[in-house]
Amino acid sequence: MNSLIKFENVSLNFGGVNALTEVSFEVPDNSLFAIIGPNGAGKTSIFNCVSGIYRPTTGVVKIFDEDISNIKPDAIANLGVSRTFQNIELFENMTTLDNILIGAHRHIDYGSVSGLIFSKKTRREEEKARQIAEDIIDFLEIEEYRYSYILSLPYGIQKRIELGRALAMKPKILLLDEPAAGMNNEETEDIARFILDIHEELEITVVLIDHDMNMVMDIATEVIVMDFGKKLFDGDPKEAAKDSSVIEAYLGVSD
Amino acid sequence: MRRRPDLYISYRDETAILKNNTHRVIALIIASALLILGYVADDYWILLLSASIFLTIATWGLNIVSGMAGQISLAHGFFVAVGTYTAAVVGGFSTEFPNKIIGYELDMIIWLPLAGIVAAGVGLIIAPLAVRLKGLNLALVSIGIVYIGSYILSNLKTVTGGAGLGRKTAGYTILGVNFKDGLEIGSLIFTKNQVLYYIGLLVALLLGIGVKNLLRSKIGRAYAAIRDRDIAAEAIGINLARFKASAFALSSFYAGVAGALMFSTIGAVDVERFGLLFSVTFIAIVVIGGVGTVMGPIFGSIFFGLMPGIIKFVIDHSEFIRDSIPLNAAQIERVIFGLFIVGFLMFEPRGLWGVWFRLRNYFKAWPFSY
Ligand SMILES: Nc1ncnc2c1ncn2[C@@H]1O[C@H](COP(=O)(O)OP(=O)(O)O)[C@@H](O)[C@H]1O
Ligand SMILES: [Mg+2]
Repeated sequence: MNSLIKFENVSLNFGGVNALTEVSFEVPDNSLFAIIGPNGAGKTSIFNCVSGIYRPTTGVVKIFDEDISNIKPDAIANLGVSRTFQNIELFENMTTLDNILIGAHRHIDYGSVSGLIFSKKTRREEEKARQIAEDIIDFLEIEEYRYSYILSLPYGIQKRIELGRALAMKPKILLLDEPAAGMNNEETEDIARFILDIHEELEITVVLIDHDMNMVMDIATEVIVMDFGKKLFDGDPKEAAKDSSVIEAYLGVSD
Repeated sequence: MRRRPDLYISYRDETAILKNNTHRVIALIIASALLILGYVADDYWILLLSASIFLTIATWGLNIVSGMAGQISLAHGFFVAVGTYTAAVVGGFSTEFPNKIIGYELDMIIWLPLAGIVAAGVGLIIAPLAVRLKGLNLALVSIGIVYIGSYILSNLKTVTGGAGLGRKTAGYTILGVNFKDGLEIGSLIFTKNQVLYYIGLLVALLLGIGVKNLLRSKIGRAYAAIRDRDIAAEAIGINLARFKASAFALSSFYAGVAGALMFSTIGAVDVERFGLLFSVTFIAIVVIGGVGTVMGPIFGSIFFGLMPGIIKFVIDHSEFIRDSIPLNAAQIERVIFGLFIVGFLMFEPRGLWGVWFRLRNYFKAWPFSY
């Protein structure tokens, strides 16, 4: 197995709107894979097909060579796929710590009755979960927000916490939907640094959506370019910038 | 070594139920007060206090499924009924006249947990509905369950005695000791209702700790995740069907245990008791008390449970009110209850708990409360 995610002629339409048209690509193991394209190009739809939130109208999505057509979203997550959302989907009424602990859900092993009586096993597993959470809080440098409620935190920090929640799942594949959207230059650099660390130190395969080419060009190992639901380009990021169809797609799209 | 009150040495300290000595002292004072109250209060107030305790247990259950997991259920009263009749069958007497009614006369140590377990089982059967339906649709379908449940119970005459006739509740034997005519321990003498009060307290203590445990565990976090953002919850790997089922089962367990005890003070129960209004009562108590916490249902249930006594007290002691309000005690009770529900929904969605919370923060900052 050398491709972790594989799209085979995937089309997705919503009552006349073709969100994806015959899209095929493979995400190699250990890559930092970027998906770029203007708004409405179908990037988020690709992630939703991987997560099982959308099901392709035709075509097949495989994760670890397994067809996921009949696998439910939570089971897909438990294969080792975690993600962030374009519009932050944190639990706003909870603290940073609780959000990250929820991310660690799949690594905590006890049932409802154990939870009710808070058995020895529960205690041990909760301590383990807390350790996972603390490692991530440390890694993302968000110690000072540990007990803060999400609602009270600035946008950039929320994005970082959502990344933390995804990391707490200890995924093999991490899907990031526009992690730098709405951030200033400094925050974007921070995020880029974290993504590189996740890829290199934690050895997680990262798939990164961005509608802006700049950050991607610096850090990605491979890129696909989407436009109107179709794949325009697949290959080396440096080549993408020179490709005429890519340049055309981006003409008129001002950032 | 003296420790700073907010400094935690370990994760375990931080998640402990009683985090510091202040908490421990408060808990001890409340526990002693409740123990003494059970001995000194007269029978009328014991009945009201016991009712508050049993309501608390039932409402904790509703709070698990609706408050914590966000699945609005109007069928809670039905699960209470399942507990009541499970206990009555397992622990009650059988009769041949006027109807044949079954009862196995087993010990409370068996019928009490069994009432919870059977109700939990029925909860599991109903849970798939919550997997398919959401929000208002689920609430509406749960009303259907109340009606279907009432119909089934009315027709299970050997279990319930049938509508209008009813049956006796479970017997009063615990660990082989019968307290139907009271209980003597050394020089202390307890009435039946006092014993039930103390049993209720003990059960409430255990189940209250249970709710606290859920809240600080992965289970409570998963419920909250499903309640707040189910798509994100699934993407994290939380199995919605499984946790909705577990919320319904645990919730119904609490309902069942409460149901087993709730009518034991009176000693008899009629199916007509378990109409829609009975289920709505629990929703109202959660709203008045406050959603999603351990304390909320306690506040709401004490309020609801003791209100008849307080109204009676006021009417007995004030000629003015007796003469100027053209309503009887039960009517006044309903009006006050209704006003509170509307008032809390409009002005303090966190319920009595929220009021208390604000008062506490006010006094914490006192005298610098600006
Ligand atoms: N749930 C949906 N229902 C209808 N149309 C959708 C839905 N999701 C996406 N689309 C449409 O599919 C196209 C691609 O959307 P999306 O994948 O979100 O693009 P991107 O993430 O590249 O901005 C858009 O035209 C969008 O309106
Ligand atoms: Mg998008």
